[in-house]
Amino acid sequence: MTDMAVAVLPATTAITRGVRLRRRFLRRPMAVVGLVLVTLFLLLAIFGPLLTPDPLVQELTSAFAPPSAHHLLGTDDLGRDELARLASGARVSLVAGVLSTALAFLVGVPIGLASGYFRGWLDEVVMRLNDTVLAFPFLIFAVGFAAIFGASLRNVVIALAIGLLPSVVRITRGEALVLREQDFIGGAVADGARAGSIMFRYLLPNSVNALIVQATVAIPTGIVGEAALSFLGLGVQPPAPSWGLMLTSAQQFLVQAPQLAIYPGALIAVATLGFNLLGDGLRDVLDPKDRR
Amino acid sequence: MGMFVLRRVLSSVVVLFLCSVAVFVGVRALPGDPALIMAGESATPALLAAIRHQFGLDQPLPVQYIDYVTQALHGNFGISTTDQIPVSEILVQRIPVTLEIAVLAIIVGVLIGVPAGIISAVRQGRFADYVSNGFGLIGLSVPHFWLGLLAIWIFAVRLHFLPASGFVGLAEDPVENLRRMVLPAIVLGTGLSAVLMRQTRSALLGQLSEDYVRTARAKGLSHGAQIRHALRNSLTTVTTVLGLQLGALISGAVVTEQIFVIPGFGKLTIDSVLQRNYPVIEGVVMITVFGYVMVNLIVDLAYAWLDPRLRLSGGAR
Amino acid sequence: MRTRLSLGLLVVAAVALTACSTPDATPGASSGGGGGGGTIVVALASDPGTIDPTLADTFDARVVFTSFCEKLYDANSQLQPVPQLASGLPTTSSDGLTVTIPLRTGIKFNDGTPFNADAVKTTLDRDMTMSGSARAREIAAIKTVSVLNPTTVRIKLKYPFSPLVAQLADRAGLIMSPTALTKLGAKFGDAPVCVGPFKYAGRVEGTSLSFVKAPDYYNASKVKAAGVTYKIITDPTTRADNLQSGDVQAAEQLDATDIPQLQSDNSLKIESISAISYEGISINISNAHGVSAPSGPVNTPLAKSPQLRQAFEMALDRNAMNKAVYNGAESVDCLPLPIQSPFRPANPDCTPYNPTVAKQMVAASGVKVPVPVSLMIPANSGVDRLAAVIQSMEAKAGFAVTIKSVEFTSALAAARAGNFDTFLIGWSGRLDPDGDLSDLVTTGGSNNFSGLNDQQLDSLVTQSAASSDPQVRKASYAKTLQRVQQLRPNIYLYHDRWYLGLSAKLTGVGYNTDGIPRFTTASLQS
Repeated sequence: MTDMAVAVLPATTAITRGVRLRRRFLRRPMAVVGLVLVTLFLLLAIFGPLLTPDPLVQELTSAFAPPSAHHLLGTDDLGRDELARLASGARVSLVAGVLSTALAFLVGVPIGLASGYFRGWLDEVVMRLNDTVLAFPFLIFAVGFAAIFGASLRNVVIALAIGLLPSVVRITRGEALVLREQDFIGGAVADGARAGSIMFRYLLPNSVNALIVQATVAIPTGIVGEAALSFLGLGVQPPAPSWGLMLTSAQQFLVQAPQLAIYPGALIAVATLGFNLLGDGLRDVLDPKDRR
Repeated sequence: MGMFVLRRVLSSVVVLFLCSVAVFVGVRALPGDPALIMAGESATPALLAAIRHQFGLDQPLPVQYIDYVTQALHGNFGISTTDQIPVSEILVQRIPVTLEIAVLAIIVGVLIGVPAGIISAVRQGRFADYVSNGFGLIGLSVPHFWLGLLAIWIFAVRLHFLPASGFVGLAEDPVENLRRMVLPAIVLGTGLSAVLMRQTRSALLGQLSEDYVRTARAKGLSHGAQIRHALRNSLTTVTTVLGLQLGALISGAVVTEQIFVIPGFGKLTIDSVLQRNYPVIEGVVMITVFGYVMVNLIVDLAYAWLDPRLRLSGGAR
Repeated sequence: MRTRLSLGLLVVAAVALTACSTPDATPGASSGGGGGGGTIVVALASDPGTIDPTLADTFDARVVFTSFCEKLYDANSQLQPVPQLASGLPTTSSDGLTVTIPLRTGIKFNDGTPFNADAVKTTLDRDMTMSGSARAREIAAIKTVSVLNPTTVRIKLKYPFSPLVAQLADRAGLIMSPTALTKLGAKFGDAPVCVGPFKYAGRVEGTSLSFVKAPDYYNASKVKAAGVTYKIITDPTTRADNLQSGDVQAAEQLDATDIPQLQSDNSLKIESISAISYEGISINISNAHGVSAPSGPVNTPLAKSPQLRQAFEMALDRNAMNKAVYNGAESVDCLPLPIQSPFRPANPDCTPYNPTVAKQMVAASGVKVPVPVSLMIPANSGVDRLAAVIQSMEAKAGFAVTIKSVEFTSALAAARAGNFDTFLIGWSGRLDPDGDLSDLVTTGGSNNFSGLNDQQLDSLVTQSAASSDPQVRKASYAKTLQRVQQLRPNIYLYHDRWYLGLSAKLTGVGYNTDGIPRFTTASLQS
């Protein structure tokens, strides 16, 4: 059988390459800031809900309370702990961003690889379908999807995954198109490797860098998408906390409690910024084609 | 070139057809019976049947589809089920509103994004570059709906500077109309300007390192002339970005109109979905998709025309 | 046929939902003109749809009718009928089957046609028989209408039906000009002619309707304004903005959240009323196979145990709810009847808020705590926060409420089919108590979501509607409501409070419990 080493670089160089990449990454202050922001977001989403009170418990008599030792960021319009709701909202965002991205990759990567590797009519059909999905402005599509299948986190994730799919397919296809012309693929084909094995053992590992960069674009798109849909009332349903939903209810109380509109929005912006910075950094480091 | 145009036009037609089927089937799949909404508290089986018959909802799906497409090709999208106004009439009222926001947003986006991108590329690695880059990143990261809320809070609630929401027709009172459109346009234009800034910058940097610019430099062309030269070639980038951002612009308009309560296309979409207003949903989405496909077609053709290399290769996207 | 019913009518919280209905504040709306020339510009909350009295089915059509189309009777602030085109209250025969209505004499429709008994008969016959009539159901009790003499109409009923006069004080009492009816037929709504202080002058579809002072009106000397223009502005905050900027002089159905700011404006006056609509929680007790099918056992703790239903109500603090969710803007109540209704029992026997006892009752019920309850709410209807508060209050008594947000018509369909535990839903309300009970808590009623099947209650509701003596009816409704509270098919929470904003320059506007501003005697200082 063919040897994996044909596809990926020899192990020894891989180690030094890893070190080199890490150094190159750490030399970019903005990329490091991005990594820190993303890490903070992950910590808030994973550990925040464990350390804060129940985000659903109301103290109606102490609505709009200012920050105190009891409620570090005060309370919302129904006297619920704001910090707890932000932390649970972070978890919802993380789930929406990561799961929708994972789903889009799970479906999109094989399609993109096959489309780029086989070309011909398959490629033609895939790209036309891709254009069709792209032709729907995403939010209008997602609104319709939520309306048909009901508004819930699960359906938001599916809708987002469909929305993310075209770009995943396009990127993977692009990688496959370039890689299939490389000598080692020709070698593998000459050795009698089957198409499936070429795609997943040769094309995929060599596309990983581009895909990692794409993931740093897809995850924040998912986070913002979930927030937008929940904001429109077509995503996560109340009283479950979601950043988008928190913004909707904060809109009513903009005069008396603007902070309720500021916290969740700022968190969405910071999380997205973190992923964008991280993505820019990774692109510079991993995907030299694009480097300026 | 002729072959390329033909291919692009044909594929646009295919995309439009697929979309029309998807929209039609999707709309029929919406839960909730529009007849039930119209009949309201006094819904009796006879009344429901009469309403279904009136709106052709009792016909088989393929018949409804053919009927729909035939009518749509004649510019007739049926009659809104909630207020019995022809959908085409509603569309004619709503399209200009969203177009106005979109055009204003594009103006905002281009006026901020392109100069920032140019400055950033020309002053690469210097202070102005960092400022522009920072702006670009923040512009990309701040979601429309939050920016909208912040704008309302600052300009309407705190400063009483601009009205928080509401809409006045352009024909009715142009000054008041613009006053009310300023915030939505800025909110919608910010994201666009960030994308434009980043793309302009990277395109310009790419162009500046191309051979022909270097040659020009070697020939002793002035710095300004070099940039002008490179800038013309970067226009293709701006055109493409605008085309690709159209979907994002429409999505943004949905949210922005919702926040600022502007009776445009986006708000119409959400409202008609929530009311199960089939004819309006179909009309709105088909017109959006049609506009989107058309603009992309035009952008592609313009792109091919601007960049001769693409005419030969068949236009890779 | 044309059938229209605005969401606002059936809605949960009429005001909240208006925000979701199609906005028609379109470009090119007729200019407000700052109220010059004495024409009053009114911001209307939604498109009234058709203004043909036989077909009209929206709240805002009712609003517009008060300017150009009078009724046989009107309702006063106690919701009692008072004569408008009739000259006195009807007399009913002892068997309750013949109703005689005296009419005003010597008055004219706005096209000069004399108003008489023939015109009333023509209108009522049209209401009863026209295809698509939204009135037919309201006056289904009528067998025949006959002209006794030019100033008296006699109505024969199929069965005794005392709410008839309430119906004639609503849209079924609107009388149309027979001349215009002959001319326009089914298109009467395109240029309607009635008896009224103003007459129809034109309409810009989806934008505005205008009316000018009617010289033929019998009370023309009392009419001060030169005309009334209704401008459709669907967003409540935009209505408030327009009121403040002086583009309109009156704005109906303002949002409670905008009120504090408007009240601080000296150039405005704010009036409010407790509306006849109510919000409540329907509990599925025996709706096993749908409202039109025979009732059957429902296998939920609340359906099986009246004690748990009582505990469920006891856990609700209506006042805290009102304060937290609506800033205290609604009128809390435990009855479906409007606060102003003359038929309300003097001391309604409300289930008191008592979380401690509620908790004990839940513990004593033997059902495993927390007791699971699913609460269905119509999605995007503005009741999300109310549902969250209910959930939190019930948690303290030992109920684990899960909120199920369902698209509005699907929710309605699920409620009719019996696919729900509890349902947070409102009723638009009726002037006569019968309209708040029959069909809602009676066996087989199309809005009897809880599937109640109680013969005692059914006959109480029928008896209460049959009597024509107000005192007898009041006593009968007291018993009926007691039975309702025992069975607890619905937990009534509050009546909506509606706000009307007026320019300080505008005086003489009538604003009654029906939430309809009347401009008959209004005058506008320039």
